[in-house]
Amino acid sequence: MFTERFLRGKRGVELEPQERARLEAAITEIRTVDSRTMIVRAGERLRVSSLLIEGFMCRYIDDRNGLRQLVAMHVPGDFFDLHAYPLKVLDHDVATITPATIAIVRHDALDTILEEMPGLARKLWFSTLIDAAIHRAWLFRLGRLDAVGRVAHFLCEMNVRLVSAGLSDGHRFALGITQTDLAEICGLTNVHVNRVMRHLREERLCVFRSSLVEITHPDKLAERGQFDPDYLYIEQDCRSGSSSARLSP
Amino acid sequence: MNFSVPQPLSQPGIASAEDGVVLLDGPNGVALTLTPDAAARTGHSLVSAAEMAERQRAEQGDAN
Repeated sequence: MFTERFLRGKRGVELEPQERARLEAAITEIRTVDSRTMIVRAGERLRVSSLLIEGFMCRYIDDRNGLRQLVAMHVPGDFFDLHAYPLKVLDHDVATITPATIAIVRHDALDTILEEMPGLARKLWFSTLIDAAIHRAWLFRLGRLDAVGRVAHFLCEMNVRLVSAGLSDGHRFALGITQTDLAEICGLTNVHVNRVMRHLREERLCVFRSSLVEITHPDKLAERGQFDPDYLYIEQDCRSGSSSARLSP
Repeated sequence: MNFSVPQPLSQPGIASAEDGVVLLDGPNGVALTLTPDAAARTGHSLVSAAEMAERQRAEQGDAN
């Protein structure tokens, strides 16, 4: 089942069996993609949207000097370019970070879902609104938090999202990003990220090594990053994890 | 909800050296990495601007 993680644990919008079946039927292709591969180029005309099944992806914008700002991270279960359905073109690039598996849904299939299943249409809309909520949190992070706070906030967000996807036990998860990615997410240099990670390690809050993250004290890390998971719209009991989580995406 | 606009910050940023560059942390969301030369020139510029701002405050005090 390709849609297993879509809207999993999201507050009040988990898919009904008939909705899931309809969405599964709308998938026309399963594609495996290498790491660091562009999936959508800004300005490109789009006729499909894609659901991330396995792996990690990002949205990014390059400045005129070619320096990159990652503006979103996507985890398994995200319908990552559903925005492209109404917009038809995106204003940013989308690429894989790790090897990824994606499910392709044609826009004309989404047209039919909108006409025939308004409840499912509302849930698709909900998923794009979560993306918008995450963007607001990322703005807050970059605008108001110091270097340690930015990294702490981001790692807390990924932990909760991956708990919801069944890919974190609430303390440990594979993130698949490099320290450079983390720098581009947090608007910091590599040197700065290095020092932040050392600080978090020395404070016994968190260790990030070889793309694996271990958060010793999620509550303390959340406090340091002013992280409140409400913007993720994840049910309370799906936020803190269990030992059954799988640690590789 | 507090609708106050951002105010001038009274806490200084903390500069430190790491791997041959200067890191400036805070106040608030400031998190910069500068070359030593850029850091030194920024420092001079800040001191100069701070002296000018002090004079402006003194002049405003005289006018009141």
